[in-house]
Amino acid sequence: MNCTFQRDLLALHVSQDLTPRDSRIVADHIQQCGECRDFLDQLCSHQSDLRSFRVDAVQTSDFSAVRHAVLTQIRNSNTSWRWLRIERFLLLGFRRRAFAFASVAVAAIVSATLFAGMRQPAPKVPESSAVFAAKDTLMLPDNYRNWVLLGNSTATSSGSPHSTNPARARNVYMDRRGYREFTRTGTMPEGAVLVLELINGPGQHPAALEASVKDSRFKGGWGFFDFSGADGGIQSQATAMPDNNTCRTCHEKRAPFDHVFTTVQEILKTAANSGENSPRSTFGKC
Amino acid sequence: MDYASDNSSLLKSLQMVRVPDTELSPEHEAVAEIVQRALTGDSLAFEQLIARYERRVMTVSLRILGTREDAHDAAQEVFLRVFKYLHRLDPRKPIEPWLMRITINVCRDIGRKRKHHQSSCPDFTEVDSIAMARSAQSCQDPHEGLAEQQQRNLVRQALDCLSEGERIAIVLRDVEGLPTSEVAEILQAPEATVRSRISRGRLKLKEAVDRLSRRTL
Repeated sequence: MNCTFQRDLLALHVSQDLTPRDSRIVADHIQQCGECRDFLDQLCSHQSDLRSFRVDAVQTSDFSAVRHAVLTQIRNSNTSWRWLRIERFLLLGFRRRAFAFASVAVAAIVSATLFAGMRQPAPKVPESSAVFAAKDTLMLPDNYRNWVLLGNSTATSSGSPHSTNPARARNVYMDRRGYREFTRTGTMPEGAVLVLELINGPGQHPAALEASVKDSRFKGGWGFFDFSGADGGIQSQATAMPDNNTCRTCHEKRAPFDHVFTTVQEILKTAANSGENSPRSTFGKC
Repeated sequence: MDYASDNSSLLKSLQMVRVPDTELSPEHEAVAEIVQRALTGDSLAFEQLIARYERRVMTVSLRILGTREDAHDAAQEVFLRVFKYLHRLDPRKPIEPWLMRITINVCRDIGRKRKHHQSSCPDFTEVDSIAMARSAQSCQDPHEGLAEQQQRNLVRQALDCLSEGERIAIVLRDVEGLPTSEVAEILQAPEATVRSRISRGRLKLKEAVDRLSRRTL
């Protein structure tokens, strides 16, 4: 090009990026200089090409692929949300002095608690003894005879549904965790299991076996299970009895304390008051 | 005239002035509301945020990085960073400059890693074939359409011949159509610097187009 006019001014003139004074200088010049006018036209043409890239470049399928990938990664790291909120809280909190002090105090308390926890580990609380094979199918607790024997008796009353055979001995066991929790709190903890077995004579296998589990998923907070098979044997698992079953209705109506009959309740309460670990009291009919 | 006392009274009066809260546009308010919801853990709100800005992020990434694969990676990384740092966004300010800043930073990171655009003018890419096809469809005269496609291809290739800084400035100013002040805010550079980068970029672009068109003739 022969014209020595400043090209950088022409380049900025295409998008009105010049000061009014410079803009006037350029306008005056291009009126007289055809070479610069052509140069400016070419720059304008490139501008139009560049603008067209905004709409042509990307396909809709690109968006869905990106969106899917991002959301999948975010869902896979759910914990990030929690950290994000904590970080945001702290960040916003530190803008105010009171929040800053409070945050430092909370951090100090949490650190001290964690430190104390590391020095003296909390006693491990065993999980519930109730093992479910499915939502409402309870596995037979194979070691229930090692549990706390709440009492034994010979069922003689025809009024009890558990005493159909007057000669049978009746034992009630409670899982150790449930028992320990009850003696501590005075209430039946979630997951507590009570097992009732009927035995025809000493040393014999149980002739019938029923269990009740404190479980909020069931009506009234208790699930009732009968492991007695039709062939007279004991099954390895049992399905929860229906809501209108006589076991449940009787326990609901007649048991004054959370589906547990008075005799068992009294034994438990006595144990709770005296700190007894293994009551082997005899209890009467329910 | 007692200049000192006049100056101090001026300073006092300036201190008394309460800066009014920036009035938010309805669009900005809608975005702020989505951001707020996203911050409370609403993943649907975050999806809305992506849907709103994915085109812009993808276009900018594609024009800076040059290939669709890189643009995909960049867009993913951008939205993951947005998710991570959304709490740092000042709700009184518009989200676009912040989002563009993240996009530019991600593109720079990816560009550095892949070294695609180090003083090289790549050949035609798949991006242009899409643009060419669309352009041909929209053009009545096939010859005119072909010339238009060719010209746009040259410009696109010329864009790849620019330095990273110039290309980013041109993409933001000329492709995205952002005002120079906003480009300066995104790049966190003085306006004068950005203006000079834009001017230099446009001149280099023209030079490259001329060179490439001579080569194709």
